[in-house]
Amino acid sequence: MSFDDIVGTEGLSREEEATLRRVHELLVAAGPPPDLSPDLSLPPVPAEESDPPEVAFLLRRRRGRVAVLALAAALAAFVGGYAFGHSKGKPAAFTSIRMVAMHGAAGAPAESHGVINIAEKDSVGNWPMLVEVSGLPEQAKQSSYYELWLTHNGKAVAPCGSFRVHGKTTRVRLSVPYALKNFDGWVVTTQGPDQNGLGPVVLTT
Amino acid sequence: MALSLPRMLPVSTTDGELIQRAAGGDRSAFELLYQRYARPVFGLALRRLGDRGRAEDAVQETFASIWRSAGTYKPDRGPGAPWLYAVARNAIVDRARNRTEIPADIPDEPSHDAGPAEQAEQGWVSWRVHRALEELNEREREVVSLAYWSGLSQSEVAEFLGIPLGTVKTRTRAALARLAEILGDEFE
Repeated sequence: MSFDDIVGTEGLSREEEATLRRVHELLVAAGPPPDLSPDLSLPPVPAEESDPPEVAFLLRRRRGRVAVLALAAALAAFVGGYAFGHSKGKPAAFTSIRMVAMHGAAGAPAESHGVINIAEKDSVGNWPMLVEVSGLPEQAKQSSYYELWLTHNGKAVAPCGSFRVHGKTTRVRLSVPYALKNFDGWVVTTQGPDQNGLGPVVLTT
Repeated sequence: MALSLPRMLPVSTTDGELIQRAAGGDRSAFELLYQRYARPVFGLALRRLGDRGRAEDAVQETFASIWRSAGTYKPDRGPGAPWLYAVARNAIVDRARNRTEIPADIPDEPSHDAGPAEQAEQGWVSWRVHRALEELNEREREVVSLAYWSGLSQSEVAEFLGIPLGTVKTRTRAALARLAEILGDEFE
């Protein structure tokens, strides 16, 4: 649509017309601003000032639900981590720089959830992780297990380690060498001896 | 954790001042920056990446970078908008580099798409214009959007809004004049 159609020149001084015409051209050149999806309605959540930058934002979607889960999981992780760190077989200290919350996928028990605590990358490029899952059923068979994956475009593409669960909550240490920023989420699948390929997803971010 | 909307800072606070406040850990300033720039960043990312999901992630990464690197902003080197644009462009370029898809065919014909320099120019224009639109009040923004991007004629806009055609024209002119004021340096 032309300047004359939208703005018109009637009653405008030459200077005013030139100014409005320039804005008109810029609006046409810029095109419409995009609609923001609900996921972008709020800014990312900065962490406390003392936290390192990597933990400063929840880059995942479904921020609200995940944040609630993260809060609950963080408390559990803190308490659990304290006990873990002060047990007899004391492992090396684990300082989380980023926390990713997971929730039960469709078909998983309603109370199932998890949290992945990621530590600083080590000198050779591995990301140590402390994974804590709750509410997942124990494996039906000795050879069954759970597997953690990184996802790209929603598909599980990079295996991050396998584990079995016992009791209500299980914590395991894993480590991955991938560039985490190249992935967009995490899932946990169940794997069994009869499984060909990827098993059903039980936890997701 | 949901953040409250930033109400404490005056609207007239410049981008540069907000960046400096964010560098000092002021979340209200950061949230106001997000209000002002989420749409321009998203527009830039969409233009460059062509995919909403990836563009959304780029927005998040851009604001993560802004929060992290706000302390590196030097007000004596220029206003905040170009600095924010540079941060956004870097975050979006990083995300674009992560693309692994390889084109199936090499086109025989030379592309008629804009070259890198033109793309950069278009990106900057859109950035400034979309940012300026955020400064308009609701009624001004509405009439500009309808006039320019809805496909409606001004008479149809008047009918749609239920106001006289003269009011639509007056409001459109007022909105464009306000944009001219905001986009001051675009006219130099």
